[in-house]
Amino acid sequence: MSMISRFGIGALALSMAALPLAAAAQTKIEFFFPVPVEGKLAREMTRLVKSYNGSQKDVEVTAVYTGGYDDTKLKAQAAAKAGRPPAVVLMSANFNVDLKLSGDIMSLEPMLRAEETTREAFLADFWPALHANAMVEGELYSVPFHNSTPLLYFNVAHFKEAGLDPTKPPRTWAELADAAKKLTKRDGDKVERYGFIMPAGYDYLGWLMEALTLSNGGRYFNEEYGGEVYYDTATMLGAARFLEDLIFKHKVMAQGVTEAGGVSTAFFAGKASMMLLSTGSLSFIRENMKMPYDVAFVPRNVRNAVPIGGASLVMFNGQSEDSKKAGWKFIKWLSSSETLGGWSRFTGYFAPRKSSYETAAMKEFIAKNPDAKVALDQLPFAKPWFATYQTVAVRKALEDEIQAMMNGKKKADQALRDAQKKADELMRPYVEQTSLKLP
Amino acid sequence: MRRPSLARFQRRLWPALLAALLAAVAFLWATPFLWTLVASFRPEGAGSAGMASLLPDTPQTLENFRNAFESGSFGLYYANTLIVVVGVLAVQCVTVSLAGYAFARLSFPGRDMLFYAFLLQLMLVPPALIVPNLRTVVDLGLYDTLPGVMAPYFASAFGTFLMRQTFLALPRDFEEAAAIDGAPWWAIIWYVLLPMAKPGLVAFAIVSVTAHWNEFLWPLMVINDPAKHTLTIGLAAFTRGAEGGKEWGVLAAGTLLVMAPLAVVFVAFQRRFVDSFVFSGVKG
Repeated sequence: MSMISRFGIGALALSMAALPLAAAAQTKIEFFFPVPVEGKLAREMTRLVKSYNGSQKDVEVTAVYTGGYDDTKLKAQAAAKAGRPPAVVLMSANFNVDLKLSGDIMSLEPMLRAEETTREAFLADFWPALHANAMVEGELYSVPFHNSTPLLYFNVAHFKEAGLDPTKPPRTWAELADAAKKLTKRDGDKVERYGFIMPAGYDYLGWLMEALTLSNGGRYFNEEYGGEVYYDTATMLGAARFLEDLIFKHKVMAQGVTEAGGVSTAFFAGKASMMLLSTGSLSFIRENMKMPYDVAFVPRNVRNAVPIGGASLVMFNGQSEDSKKAGWKFIKWLSSSETLGGWSRFTGYFAPRKSSYETAAMKEFIAKNPDAKVALDQLPFAKPWFATYQTVAVRKALEDEIQAMMNGKKKADQALRDAQKKADELMRPYVEQTSLKLP
Repeated sequence: MRRPSLARFQRRLWPALLAALLAAVAFLWATPFLWTLVASFRPEGAGSAGMASLLPDTPQTLENFRNAFESGSFGLYYANTLIVVVGVLAVQCVTVSLAGYAFARLSFPGRDMLFYAFLLQLMLVPPALIVPNLRTVVDLGLYDTLPGVMAPYFASAFGTFLMRQTFLALPRDFEEAAAIDGAPWWAIIWYVLLPMAKPGLVAFAIVSVTAHWNEFLWPLMVINDPAKHTLTIGLAAFTRGAEGGKEWGVLAAGTLLVMAPLAVVFVAFQRRFVDSFVFSGVKG
């Protein structure tokens, strides 16, 4: 009812408004964004949007801070269901499949067609590793904004103290376990310093488990189809057992679940010597770490591979044509080479556009901060971030079980069997509608 | 000779032991608050290395409070939160006392069934209601307004329950006397019942104010305009880190800023709060 009346009014307004008048009017749109790191980023984003509003007269953007990644998804979807879809949302890059299947976000192909360009031409300047997460079922649904991969951070002073060479950080799991053993400091039964630590809270753990299973030759999920994950597999089992061993056999990692904030704090305090953390934290670590540190690739067991993380810009269904045009215009500005480069230097995320790195400002920045280059060098080994039907719930199915394992309540093989079972149940409705729907 | 002194010693020992035990428990309970207090005054550099320490560092600094304050327009957030909390409470006081009176004193067919149906609301998890409530708020034209944040709370199942129990516990003699003197129903509620039910209302007010002061999810859903943000959303701007680390000092300072008004009010009126809970207890 309300939809119909809204369309009616929209049509009426369109037919009544003379074209030159409509073109002169300013379009107001809303832009939802989460704050992935800290308050500083929210202020910087607000500043960016203000400068955009000042730079032109056609579009006025209201920047709406919307909590964490999950809160942002919840708010955007609730607003859309209530009939007030946001024009543009900065959404966790792996929510696209889910949001497309629920009919919330729109294909960006019509925008490309209107500009007489192709998807290939549009994506050419973006790093190849990002293309998969930008598309759903072969169509462009999102524009990458800031991206990350996991990275191994290590304390250089601790390395020297333990007789390890800080210019040769561990490259394989064997070297990692060996270094962690040497770095762990014990006082009787008490551990004073752990060799290795990583965040195991929701969202982060799933992403790092993908990093480990990829490094072990695995895949985590079916990149071509949203109804399949590979939890109960040899590659994932190896990854889970590796963690289990670091905690319970080698005792070089603390038992239990540490959130990201606790992990970086332990690293700063010298209570942990190596950590697996996002490249998105680089600026934060650089500003706060008092001891010398360095970064390295995520160590491999079978091959070098890491998942992409970060966020991309999407547009919601149910907007007026004017709002769509304004939103697309804003997206193009936000994802321009310069804006992305500036945001990357401010945050530590890497810029999704290759051309951002050809600017003088970026070259100077990388010369001054060589750790930013390691993140970039790892990019050729990057794979898409897991994205399935009901992504969040399917991810939690694994995280809950791995957390139980890290607490010593379950063995790795049992944990993965249970996780697989739960994930399969969650994806069942989609699977029944697609691959199990037979003639 | 020795026995009486031993007994006296024991008489003194037990209370002392008990006090020590209680003090230990109180200390444990107060640790998070103590830490917040200490961390909020700790200079940023030390904030990462010695962040877990409960001992204050020298020199102290107000830097964290300045950073927190600059992270958002706290004055505006205070005002918005106050409007929401007071607005909700004002309307609730009217609705819950009238509804409580109806369920306690009026007899009409299906009264008890209706009451239980009313109580069922308490079983619903609030997130399940987000979409339907949001739809209603949009239809009422209240999306992105403070009244939109307040609207779903104008009626309260918990408050109605509490006021019904409070009214039931009051003897009917007073109302009957007033009725014999010709007082209409509203005069009976206003002049006779409400003054006696004050402890119940105060108890409810505390619950309502704390709940809405601390609420995060619903205001986040309704409000887009940064000028209409409440304290919790403002605070979340620097507590919800997904991929980064945390600036503990600023975090602690922001938390203190948000909780300070409630804490001050509670300390100032502590006696009255405790009394009202004691008196509002339903007679067994």
